[in-house]
Amino acid sequence: MNLILTNDQTLIDRLSLNDTEAFEELYRHYWKSLYLYCLKKLQSPEDAKIIVRTIFTDIWEKRYSLPVSFCLSRHLYQEVRKKVINCLSQKLSDSTERTYIEKRLITEFSVQSLQAARKPVTNAYTVINKPSELIRQQTGQSGNEHYNTLATIKWMVLSFTDKFSFANLLSYPKN
Amino acid sequence: MKSEILHAKLERYVNGESMPAETRQIQTWLSCTLTDAQLTAEERSLLELEILQEIQAYTAYPLFYPKKEKPWWQKIAALF
Repeated sequence: MNLILTNDQTLIDRLSLNDTEAFEELYRHYWKSLYLYCLKKLQSPEDAKIIVRTIFTDIWEKRYSLPVSFCLSRHLYQEVRKKVINCLSQKLSDSTERTYIEKRLITEFSVQSLQAARKPVTNAYTVINKPSELIRQQTGQSGNEHYNTLATIKWMVLSFTDKFSFANLLSYPKN
Repeated sequence: MKSEILHAKLERYVNGESMPAETRQIQTWLSCTLTDAQLTAEERSLLELEILQEIQAYTAYPLFYPKKEKPWWQKIAALF
């Protein structure tokens, strides 16, 4: 496995030159997030594998026609959601799978279950958006001490979200 | 909700004919990622290889674009 982390755009550019190593690096970077997402949504390891395989096969086959402004994380985000819905729709049309889906997936569409998607993704995110005065009251810190802590938290969260930007894309946009 | 209703909703969503409330419900479901499954390191490496091999079998890219053999000095340098 290649341990040198390269920018996605550079790897996409290398794809059009038939660089298989660039393709595999992209695959290694994203397959797990896609797989776990599909697994959670469809509860089927086999379907999750098929979706991941299809997405990356499509990318390889369309490597010559990718637009200049192609954003891989956005593309993966759209594709995985589209494919999960198609797969679920196909499963529901199959009478043998229907009872299984009724037992496991239908409850996820209830209003109570969907409320979870509207909550903030992490507590750290809440900290970033909280007014400074409120944090100062809660932490009991004052002056420079408070600002230093806040700056450290902000730096940690921002560096974390930079690294895992694709994972954030899968989360629900905040109102 | 019954599976027939969900199926009809999904069909309408796929065809771009769903009502705004239905779209919202489906998109919220898609975005709900709070409890995610985890893989062990062993499972992870096995699956990674398995899916990659399937992709290679489908696209046959190793056949058309075989990996270049690295020179011996680069292999030794990689060890350090």
